[in-house]
Amino acid sequence: MIFDAWFWAGTALCAVSLVICVVMTALRRFPDDASILSLAAVELFLLVYGIGAAFRMAGAEPVQGAAWEFWGYVLTALVVPVIAFVWAVTDKTRWSNLVMAAVGPTIFVMLYRMQVIWFG
Amino acid sequence: MAEKVLESGSVPARPKRNQGLGRILVMVYAVFALSSFARSVYQLATEFSAAPLAYLLSAFAAAVYIVATLSLARSGRTAWYVSLVSVSVELVGVVGVGLWTVLDPQLFADDTVWSRFGAGYGYVPLVLPVLGLAWLLTHRPVRGPRGEVAGRPGAGG
Repeated sequence: MIFDAWFWAGTALCAVSLVICVVMTALRRFPDDASILSLAAVELFLLVYGIGAAFRMAGAEPVQGAAWEFWGYVLTALVVPVIAFVWAVTDKTRWSNLVMAAVGPTIFVMLYRMQVIWFG
Repeated sequence: MAEKVLESGSVPARPKRNQGLGRILVMVYAVFALSSFARSVYQLATEFSAAPLAYLLSAFAAAVYIVATLSLARSGRTAWYVSLVSVSVELVGVVGVGLWTVLDPQLFADDTVWSRFGAGYGYVPLVLPVLGLAWLLTHRPVRGPRGEVAGRPGAGG
């Protein structure tokens, strides 16, 4: 139940972002475009997920858990890639990519929690 | 431009502790600060009476993470000392609360970030202060404007 299409799409994006950022840590001495774009993809997914959740809530599929907690997670998750991006590009080194690599696993855990709250 | 910069920040040879590899540490701290803060606000606002002790402890942990994140991200001597204190408090907190929850599981009505040595968070809360202390101790603030160690990378540099 928790593992619906939303979950797998988000998980796949987070995994791809993690792999890209780790690979770029090895290959590049600067924050690579691929790393930044992978963060943008994760952020875009979170936006779509949030908008989708709003529509589902307005429709026939209300959130089972606490709505407040769910939206708290959505908003917090939306901030994470932004912080990582800013923190990564303000010191342009190899390790900028590894800073951005932290986003994938973090968002994955938060997405899992969101799914748990959604299905109660 | 009234005052002259007397700090020894003019030594470019050595990466500062909030640059390079050090930025990853700050990033992980930031994730914990943000998530524990958001979670704590939610707990205090909605269900405080259910487990007052646990949620007060969560709030304290969130505050420690926020102070540690901001001080680790900043340069300078003062920030280094603030980092050292906050990361030490964090280590004492996670070990102390961890032991406490193992010995007396009934004490807290709900889990905190430090319960069972941070098992609910993949033991990252236990590893993080150890890494933080190691990073701080290998990246001590430079002694003075003409300190002998100023130009030389430290052991962990």
